[in-house]
Amino acid sequence: MDVATALVMAMQTWGIVGALVAAVFLTIGIDRIDEDVRGAYIFRPLLIPGVLLIWPLVLWRWWQIETERAAWADRYRPVRASYGLAVVLMSLGIIAVVIAGLSVRQSWPADIAPVQLSEGAGQ
Amino acid sequence: MSEKPFFVGYLPAPGPLRTFLLTVCILLIAGLGGAGLLMGAAQDDPGPGAFRFDYGRQTVTGVVELTPYPVIHVTEGNDRIKPGDSFLMTAGGKSGVDSRAEPLDGQLAQVSGVVLERGDLYMLQLRGGRNGLQAAEGDAPVITPEPQGRWKLAGEICDGKCLAGAMRPGRGLAHKACANLCLLGDVPPIFVSTQPVLGEEFLLVTGPDGTRLPREAYDYIAQFITAEGEITKRGDLLVWEIDVDTIEVTE
Repeated sequence: MDVATALVMAMQTWGIVGALVAAVFLTIGIDRIDEDVRGAYIFRPLLIPGVLLIWPLVLWRWWQIETERAAWADRYRPVRASYGLAVVLMSLGIIAVVIAGLSVRQSWPADIAPVQLSEGAGQ
Repeated sequence: MSEKPFFVGYLPAPGPLRTFLLTVCILLIAGLGGAGLLMGAAQDDPGPGAFRFDYGRQTVTGVVELTPYPVIHVTEGNDRIKPGDSFLMTAGGKSGVDSRAEPLDGQLAQVSGVVLERGDLYMLQLRGGRNGLQAAEGDAPVITPEPQGRWKLAGEICDGKCLAGAMRPGRGLAHKACANLCLLGDVPPIFVSTQPVLGEEFLLVTGPDGTRLPREAYDYIAQFITAEGEITKRGDLLVWEIDVDTIEVTE
């Protein structure tokens, strides 16, 4: 399996799991952890793309709230508290990607001249 | 009650926040502008390729040859396309004209479309259906291929349409996915040589023995490579039959 195939397979797997999580969370889970959404359905399809992308976080938050493992306010604080770190890491990540991309970029092999290895039949 | 200043969008900014906001705005604008400048400066020149709508619709007559990619050897030209020229063809979008050209192999045909031009390389994006390619009356001269021997070349495999001007950039890694899609759609592949080969910088690249570019070569599209293969002159077009087993990526 080459790198491209592995990347595509990883994305597909992530998306399939995300779709399953979205199906369960938006039909069952969201009603269990947020009483304000009970009876409201039109907005739920709008959440599908987001759940597809961050389904591990959705599962973790669902578990946190469902099991009441933290005080009410603390259930929301951890995510917000990590925003600053996430911003810094993502910024550094972008810079690292650009530098890595530029460092592995090929240079045009202008100094390699064409070489005739054998003559043609008509030459 | 906290004395911490609080920003409200529709009210004047609190005094202590003004300096901070002004500094952030200036840094953000200057930073983004600088980043844009750096990224732009790091890009390769996309080259002079372009659609030449300013030339108007071009209609010429010539012999269709399948190399296996369809080539027209012009027998009756016009002000811009001269008899003796050989050029490649494409359809709209990421499509070739194989299905229309195959029934006309070796026959005289009239082609009509818009020119894509990049230096010495040009091709014609044909009009739809028979308006773009149709059989013409007359005897078709026989095009004799002229073998030019085996060559080792350095350069890059591109899709001919984007390289000739349909996209900017039409080559390089940034264009790799587009090039692969074009080739899957039967757009002819072109090899850009680092230095002229028999006077030409651009060669039509095919597989050995008149086959299409092998799928194994698609992994190397848009990368700088060296490879070996037989070159044959067809009309005034060089066709390089690349030997995929000899492909090596350069530093």
